[in-house]
Amino acid sequence: MTIFPPTGAAAVARGASIATSLQRGLPALVRGSGPIAIYAVFALLIGLPLALVLVQAVVPDLFSARDAGSALSLEPLARVFNSPRVAASVLHSLELGMLVACTTTVVGGAFAILVQRCDIPFRAAISTVPWLVFLTPSYLKALAWVLLMSSGGYLAQFGLLPSWLGTSFFGLGGLVFVHTLSLFPLASFIIGSALAGLGSELEDAARLSGAAPFRIWLRINGPLLAPAIALSFIATFAEVLSDFGLASTIARMSDFGVLTYGIYAAASDYPVDFPAAGAQALVLLSLVLLVVVADRLLRRRADPRLISGRARPARLYNPGSWRWPAMASALATAFLALVLPLAAIVARALTQTLGNGLVWSNFTSANVTAVLGANTAANEGLLRSLFYAGLTALITSALALLLSARLDRASPVLRTAVIGLSLGAVAIPGIVLGFGYILVWNRLPGFRDWPFPHYGDGSLLVMGYVAAALPYCLVVILSAIGQLAPSLTDAARLHGVGTLRRLLAITLPLVLLSVVTAFLLTFIRTVFELPMSQMLIPQSGPPAPTLILKLFSHDRDGLASAIALTAMAAAAIGAALVWYPLQRLVRPRRSSVAVDTHGNQSVRTGAQP
Amino acid sequence: MRTRTTFCFAISLSTLALTMPASASDLVLYDALDFAGPVAKAFQAKTGLTVDVVEPGSTGETLGKIAAEGNNPQFDIVWLDGSAVMERMAADHVLQAIPAAAYDKVAFTDLGKSLIPQSHAFLPTGTSTTAIEVNTKKVPADKMPKSWADLQSFAGSVAAKDPNLSGPAYQWLAGFFQTNGLDTGKTLLSKTLTNKSLSGLSSGGKVNKAVLTGDASVGINQDSAIFSKIAAGEPVVAVYPSEGSVSLPQGLGISAKTQHMDAAQKFIDFVTSAEGQAAMQNGDDTDFFYIPIIKGINAKPGRETNIAYTHLDDAVASAHETEWKQWYKDNFVQ
Repeated sequence: MTIFPPTGAAAVARGASIATSLQRGLPALVRGSGPIAIYAVFALLIGLPLALVLVQAVVPDLFSARDAGSALSLEPLARVFNSPRVAASVLHSLELGMLVACTTTVVGGAFAILVQRCDIPFRAAISTVPWLVFLTPSYLKALAWVLLMSSGGYLAQFGLLPSWLGTSFFGLGGLVFVHTLSLFPLASFIIGSALAGLGSELEDAARLSGAAPFRIWLRINGPLLAPAIALSFIATFAEVLSDFGLASTIARMSDFGVLTYGIYAAASDYPVDFPAAGAQALVLLSLVLLVVVADRLLRRRADPRLISGRARPARLYNPGSWRWPAMASALATAFLALVLPLAAIVARALTQTLGNGLVWSNFTSANVTAVLGANTAANEGLLRSLFYAGLTALITSALALLLSARLDRASPVLRTAVIGLSLGAVAIPGIVLGFGYILVWNRLPGFRDWPFPHYGDGSLLVMGYVAAALPYCLVVILSAIGQLAPSLTDAARLHGVGTLRRLLAITLPLVLLSVVTAFLLTFIRTVFELPMSQMLIPQSGPPAPTLILKLFSHDRDGLASAIALTAMAAAAIGAALVWYPLQRLVRPRRSSVAVDTHGNQSVRTGAQP
Repeated sequence: MRTRTTFCFAISLSTLALTMPASASDLVLYDALDFAGPVAKAFQAKTGLTVDVVEPGSTGETLGKIAAEGNNPQFDIVWLDGSAVMERMAADHVLQAIPAAAYDKVAFTDLGKSLIPQSHAFLPTGTSTTAIEVNTKKVPADKMPKSWADLQSFAGSVAAKDPNLSGPAYQWLAGFFQTNGLDTGKTLLSKTLTNKSLSGLSSGGKVNKAVLTGDASVGINQDSAIFSKIAAGEPVVAVYPSEGSVSLPQGLGISAKTQHMDAAQKFIDFVTSAEGQAAMQNGDDTDFFYIPIIKGINAKPGRETNIAYTHLDDAVASAHETEWKQWYKDNFVQ
């Protein structure tokens, strides 16, 4: 908020004149180059690396160590499509993605409505659950459930696991269960932020006309939330397709091969089977693009624009006798998604061996001490990750805000292209994008000699993190900006306010919560981002996720669990330090915006905390 | 003014990014071995030469990174389990031949001498082998397996690594076919590895986990991984099959494009010295339990070194690599 000091009318006029003169000074070329800049950012961050991986599906010898060549060949694609294993993994990925997209959207949507619109006990505490679930990376949750559900695991040790449940867990059912529990925050964020923008004017109007709550949700809120629900469905579907954490653990242990694992397997050897990896990545990307295109075709009409600067915070429902059951179901979700897996990780972090179980003699504090002690590899890795994550979050949320503002006014073609690319990037396993980054920045002439960013330095890792996080930030911020009525910025534009100033003084304050949400999501995800950390590991030292994975693969899951726990705690404290003061600052703004009726004036009031 | 704020913000961001540590060390080491970090630290303390240790994860992931770097490798030295993959990298001119003088300086044991490759693709620094990992809580003492053939009686409860994902596992598969005969070997495996969710694991850690959690009663695993678990107090033992064991050397290779040949040679000298070998044992993880191959160096306490070896015919193993890996994948990997 310090960027926007309180300004009087004179200051506004002065600032505006500087901004306009600057604006006039900029060549018309720069002003017209908005779409080009958007394309360039995407091409560099995602398009080019991805293309280099995908093109090998048809030019298999492009990066071959011996006899590199650019001859076209359909052999890798033919090989992939003729393989029954790949066909099965495509079907598995689709089946899993569809199921989880449905269950997650339902659970996440219900959770958002329950927490935002129903007056249930412990509402504030329960509303933090999605964030906390989001703090736990998917590979850790998968590991926790393996620790819990395997035949010699913690639940079996306590006699709480019937054998039929243990065996059926390692299959489609268990995968859907764990995916839903770990992804419902995503759906809850997307639907929840749309719900927050919805306000209750329309609802109140319907109520005054005598509509029952069920009818209001079915006929008014439901259709208005439809874009968010569709977005949640697509984002979850893409997330499941690209997931590697569960694919390499539970799916792997249950005869349930999925595409990402196939790509990983093809890419983890010397020489790498790049053509096979490229061909499977191509299949994966095509699937996601199909969904995006289908979605665009299905709902042609424009997204509703709801925030007009007059929205009032919605009223809470009183669920009456359903209060306690509603709270119980929210708590049960929290218990399964958060408490139980965390307990397993805590137990593992505090014990010497898994086999000896939870007996007193097996407990130790050695793992935690090793992480907290100064100058240990674990501690250095953790600090490094927190620094990289903070930097990445700053750059990504700023970039996403700029892109969103441009995109919101851009042509539908560009918008569709960018959303398609973003979701495609979400669905492409990080390991593929990581390979692409190595190919671009270490193999392509011109790129490999650039001093910054440079392969092997922290700079390229941060760039890779930004690329991995940008799609998310864009989805979060774009959905918030998409709800702003164009009249707000139009009014400012008519008053001669420049582009950048409109963005910073009007758009940013109105979507500040979403921008901060994007910042925190990026920060937390980046602390635990695995594939980029692995592929672009800086020579100066590994970030925490690489360390955690290395320890897991060496079966030192005690120390790995301890690092993960400490990282979660650090990320949670960091996020809380940003979030709570900000919420206090933003809350009174809403009411002042609601009181004002003139767009310009309400924004100025809003900019003052 | 706000425009200026934004510009300042952008400039300070780029400055911050530019000041992030860029690497300028004397050596860059790519590896997937637990002891590489401690060894590099000890080397740095002794010689003052700085080493950047880059560990992307498993052997497969390190290999993937090297493959992606292709003809512009960023490492000076690579240190991994497995000889065949080193040979392939040398054949692709990613690695250069180790100078003959480097081998002459080291007092190798007979086992060590047998591991020196004709191509000089790598310098062996130690070895390990594959053994049968048995969960003593699940298998009574009188039912212990003694040979690969005995594993049939544990059918469906045998954990194994996918040779497509693990270099050492391929070395085991090739050795298994060599000692048991190809056709008998295939039949034997078909009768033993009847549970695909256990026979296509990706790392030794996962085999350990399967055996420790009781999902599997026995596992086919690198023996150093088993000894590290025994030292940690887990209820497992290592059984060496009566058919004989195939050695899995750890090798150091030098990048074909290195600009730091002197430092690389000093690193090799240090690793093969008594101090270097002590650093290689200064820890509790899997790889610290390697079998030394230099005269006068003993293994970590508890580590079995009296093992009956058979020599793997590398030519046969590499000639059939694609075919046998595919066969394994088709039969035992989902």
